Amino acid sequence: MNAQQLRNSILQQAIQGKLVAQDPNDEPASVLLQRIRKEKERLAKEGKLKKKDLESKPIEEDEIPFEIPESWEWVRLQYLCTRFSTGPFGTMVHKEDYVDLEGHPLVNPTNIKNGKIVAEGIKKVSNTKYKELGSYVLQTNDLVLARRGDLSKIAIVTEKENGWLAGTGAFFMHFLDGLFLPYFIVLYSSFYCQSYLLDQSVGGTMNNLNQKLLSDFLLPLPPLVEQRRIVAKIEELMPLVERYGKAQDELDKLNESLPARLRQSILQEAIQGRLVPQDPKEEPASELLKRIRKEKEQLVKEKTLKAKDASVTPLQSDEISYTIPNGWAFVRLKDICQLSDGEKQTGSHICMDAKYLRGKKTGDILESGKFVKKGDNIILVDGENSGEVFTAPIDGYMGSTFKKLWVSSELYLPYILNIIRSYKETLRNSKKGAAIPHLNKDIFYNIEVGIPPFSEQKRIVAKVEELFGVIG
Amino acid sequence: MALTNFVKSIRNIMRNDAGINGDAQRIEQIAWMLFLKVYDEKENDWEFNEDNYVSFIPENCRWRNWAKDDGTGKAMTADTLLDFVNNTLFPTLKKLEVTPTTPMRSAIVQTTFQDANQYMKDGVLLRQVINVIDQLDLGDYEESHAFGEIYEAILKEMQSAGSAGEFYTPRALTDFMAEIIQPKVGEKMADFACGTGGFITSWLNALDKKVKTAEDREQYAKSVFGIEKKQFPYMLCVTNMLLHDIDSPKIMHDNSLAKDVLNYTDDDKFDVVLMNPPYGGSEKNDIKKHFPADLSSSETADLFMVLIMHRLKENGRAAVILPDGFLFGTDNAKMAIKEKLLREFNVHTIIRLPGSIFSPYTSINTNIIFFNNEKVEDAPEGFSTKETWFFRLDMPEGYKHFSKTKPMRVEHCQPIRDWWTDRKEIVTTDDDGNVVDEKSRCFKVEELMVKSCNFDQCKFPKADEEVLPPAELLADYHKRREAMDKQIDDMLSKIQTLLGL
Repeated sequence: MNAQQLRNSILQQAIQGKLVAQDPNDEPASVLLQRIRKEKERLAKEGKLKKKDLESKPIEEDEIPFEIPESWEWVRLQYLCTRFSTGPFGTMVHKEDYVDLEGHPLVNPTNIKNGKIVAEGIKKVSNTKYKELGSYVLQTNDLVLARRGDLSKIAIVTEKENGWLAGTGAFFMHFLDGLFLPYFIVLYSSFYCQSYLLDQSVGGTMNNLNQKLLSDFLLPLPPLVEQRRIVAKIEELMPLVERYGKAQDELDKLNESLPARLRQSILQEAIQGRLVPQDPKEEPASELLKRIRKEKEQLVKEKTLKAKDASVTPLQSDEISYTIPNGWAFVRLKDICQLSDGEKQTGSHICMDAKYLRGKKTGDILESGKFVKKGDNIILVDGENSGEVFTAPIDGYMGSTFKKLWVSSELYLPYILNIIRSYKETLRNSKKGAAIPHLNKDIFYNIEVGIPPFSEQKRIVAKVEELFGVIG
Repeated sequence: MALTNFVKSIRNIMRNDAGINGDAQRIEQIAWMLFLKVYDEKENDWEFNEDNYVSFIPENCRWRNWAKDDGTGKAMTADTLLDFVNNTLFPTLKKLEVTPTTPMRSAIVQTTFQDANQYMKDGVLLRQVINVIDQLDLGDYEESHAFGEIYEAILKEMQSAGSAGEFYTPRALTDFMAEIIQPKVGEKMADFACGTGGFITSWLNALDKKVKTAEDREQYAKSVFGIEKKQFPYMLCVTNMLLHDIDSPKIMHDNSLAKDVLNYTDDDKFDVVLMNPPYGGSEKNDIKKHFPADLSSSETADLFMVLIMHRLKENGRAAVILPDGFLFGTDNAKMAIKEKLLREFNVHTIIRLPGSIFSPYTSINTNIIFFNNEKVEDAPEGFSTKETWFFRLDMPEGYKHFSKTKPMRVEHCQPIRDWWTDRKEIVTTDDDGNVVDEKSRCFKVEELMVKSCNFDQCKFPKADEEVLPPAELLADYHKRREAMDKQIDDMLSKIQTLLGL
């Protein structure tokens, strides 16, 4: 559940007469309607209302959406209005008509917030223009609404805004006495009303208010005093619903963040040696390091590695911030892996960029590039996913955002990849606020790596995969 | 010899002894030898100042008699030494008779050796270690004082020795808290879970600056009180006190929680309490029964809070380090404790501390809660707190987290000091006016009650979070979810009531 659902549920209760109790002493809505009719007849005599407005379209049985209490009545919105009009057309007000300092304010949807008209930033027009827009002047107790976009925007015109203009995006109306305006706002905000307006709104990308629809809207009308009671109750409830909403959002965020945090935590346990038990019978990592050293020396001879990169320097225990498990050795990434550009070659080959490697597109053919063999590992060094490692499925050229990654064959590759994966976040941030995340080579090479015995590396990876399978 | 090599030399010698398994045992081994050496030095002072001084330790067991190597080749070594230490020294010291009239400075010999362990198996190596220790010239004031700092370094090493690290609060924190609570000569402070004596020594260092007369010095020596349940840190604390010239240290080897809290009288109360209670412990009924039913949590840290509330003098001041779980916890006991705090004490400040301060022992998030046993003048009816200020201490520039090699330092607390005397709210908003972050805010007590005593305000933004080990991560998740669930349930039940459901 979320706050919006709760709000909708409460509002629905309200407009069905189930939020507050009915009081048999209240003047029933039917009597209220009779008084309204008398008032309309009087206005018609004075010429202020057209004769046809005295009647409203009859209400069919099958139109009635829900049951209402005995003392309530269904009535079409138009019946209760003395004014019902859109704001001026776009052609009537141009950019040039707006003035900066003194002028007459125009109310548009952006000026409506939380049921009120907000004066800050409101556009104004000159006196001359104001005279032209005479039929769009707002009066106290008018209701002004959005006729485009967010159709739930509605505000009551107060004394302060008396005489302001309705803008091109607005719609306004005036009700006869008998409809408590805050009750109408409750009704207008309800799912019943909003979905009615949206379901059949005209317009493609943006919602538009359909005047005819609005005028035919079936309004559940309670006795006047009950309308006030309903509003009072809603005002008590809504702050609580909001607070609930905030708490619920926080809880949702907490739950959403759990899987990723759990994965990160498990990876940390793994690479610090606390995920699986040590087996004293396994050959200690110090022996592994010796073989890695030999391997690198061989590569130097073959000229695939520079002599300066050939060292393997284990870290001492006091350089590590946690306890070193038995049989482990600690080195830096530069001791056991190397980033390189691959061989520059010519000839037609597929360019393996990230999209290709993810299977999202067939590869482009290039005539030259940095060559890698099938089975080589390449790592992304630029972009959102810096630090992600792929295995080349074919011989070809690396994408421009890749570098070739050599990892000592004495190590269990998936284990090393897990380490690199757990540092992805750190690697990406070479500078805070850099536009494009980037794998920082210095940070990469300096990462402290715990090397367990070979079979323990395998056990760790198996455990991590098992756990990740559960987390999902 | 250079003090800097002291620790390294001993470590190198002990590395070769089969009996020492790991850092924790090495430190335990050094501890009892250091204690005897330091004590021997103190006895020199006492003999010098008192005509009739008689040592509580039998002559053959006094350090000066069995440990000193005068270079003539007569000093005990190898199997003879091992036999002496295992079969004479230890049994004798453990069995020393302590009566209620035994002066504290004598009693501590027995209480310190009660559960001490002798791990080394090689008498020759043992002799080498003893010689290194004996070379410390603690009679020299400068060296003695400098050694106090080496001792601190040894204690700090315990933090990285894993489970032994629970007795050590970083000195940057203890120094800050002791300083900001403003000790005065004549006041008495207490730490009911004193561990190795960090808060006590920080208090002494801060108070020392205010000592002007000989009388002041006497008050200074009587101003501290501690209780420690575990043998090993107790031993270290006593040694620490001796090194700070507290000759008769009132450090009890006891369980603070094992007495009825309602039985404490004014004589058992203190002007200042500074402490960092143990977290995550689970107390059984035999302990819980000493507490009023509505406040009897099974969590150790909670019970310590109740203890402090009953042992803080009127107008007394307390500063306690507590985990996040206390701030947002919603079980019945915590709610009762927090409400009682707001009603009967002035909870004036809560400082949120960055994680990793206790690295590498734990990455748990902690906070300092400051409260005084007083009622604020215009607090609302039924409350002693009027408002609580929250302040979040962010990680210092250039630090991703604290670690063994980059620990918290005293200057990292400077932002708190700067803010303390001129408190302002620090809130960041975005262009739409929505609140994006709150670093410091003042909450009225009514607001806190409405939030169901959820003191988890001015939190750290998500990005700064430490990667917690799974056990802590899940415990934290469950606590937070429980707290939020409770908040949501409270809210919904109010709504339901209004709806008449």
